[in-house]
Amino acid sequence: MTVTNRHIRYTLLLVIIGLLVYLALGYGTRSFEAYCPFGGAESLWGLITQGEFTCALGPLNLSIMLALLGLALLSKKSFCGWACPIGLLGELGGKLGGRLWRKRPKVEKRTNGYLKLLRYVILVVVLYFTYHTGELILRGFDPFYLIFSGFGHGSLGWISIAVLGGIVVAALVVPMAFCRYLCPLGAVFDPFSRLGLLKVSRDDSSCTACGMCTQACPHEIGVDEIEVVRHRDCTNCLECVDVCPEDDVLSIRARL
Amino acid sequence: MRVSRFIIPVLVVVALLVGYSLRLAFTQPTTNISYARTGDTIENAQQATFIVEGVKCKGTASFFSSLYEDTPGVIAIETFASEHKAVFTYDPDVIGIEQIKSIMEAPIDFDDGTSEQVFRCLAVE
Repeated sequence: MTVTNRHIRYTLLLVIIGLLVYLALGYGTRSFEAYCPFGGAESLWGLITQGEFTCALGPLNLSIMLALLGLALLSKKSFCGWACPIGLLGELGGKLGGRLWRKRPKVEKRTNGYLKLLRYVILVVVLYFTYHTGELILRGFDPFYLIFSGFGHGSLGWISIAVLGGIVVAALVVPMAFCRYLCPLGAVFDPFSRLGLLKVSRDDSSCTACGMCTQACPHEIGVDEIEVVRHRDCTNCLECVDVCPEDDVLSIRARL
Repeated sequence: MRVSRFIIPVLVVVALLVGYSLRLAFTQPTTNISYARTGDTIENAQQATFIVEGVKCKGTASFFSSLYEDTPGVIAIETFASEHKAVFTYDPDVIGIEQIKSIMEAPIDFDDGTSEQVFRCLAVE
């Protein structure tokens, strides 16, 4: 059996989810929240202005976020595709949705672009209120927190249930809907991801233009229309590389 | 330049490990309170680190520290909420680890008349 990129990716994701469940069940000396990179962004201003971390956040949130920004400079949003459990949820939701819909509704390109601006709005709102209140105001709406805490302290009852349900349903309609439109961590990574050194590259001379790479992309990036995938949403998940029927048409290359 | 497909997972794992290791560079106590009083012998002071279930944010860390406000022998308490950790500086001639532990694990009386154990010592390092 050939070991595909998806095999490696799902294995890594399962290990990470296993560790998070272990922490969420109360084992280990840290809360699962301590490993959330977005906590680093939420804490940064408090750390600069008051020399202390926000609420339950700590140095691990910040150090992981900085390491992942470095990773984004090297390998775009690899964290989102290879290590984020919410990314996996969106991806699996997208695959399930693909089976459920006879013809999945397509978000028009322009609307898609406008909707993507939402994640910047969410980022600004979350950071503003977190800095001003000193509380983690995102908890009640954060799928990562809600899932692993089992709707714990800070969740907003039926509002949180509706939010999480909405995210799951949205993933069935639009693949990776949360990651595309709502994830504030994705917004933090965006400028770094654009500069990411390692990119999927397509050899146009041997490509048969079958379009399977574009169909396989969880973010619906038109891989078959471009030679180098510079798209900010690319997570280097390598699904496109896995499905390509030709040898050596798609590969990972270091390109500025 | 073409690179191996295995570079991506390797980079992800390395980044997570680097992030985990770098945490020490940013470690800041959640609270840092000194209760030094006249008569405390600072020269003999010892330190003990407690892993405490219940110390999970700035509010609970402050409340935890306040339990020792009037405890002779407790000189200072640093808490690290994200690690559920409290570092005690204490005078061993006045108070011992078991006494410190019994104070944190004692049930706390609330205004509504109820009483509950809020903190639990998981380990002493």
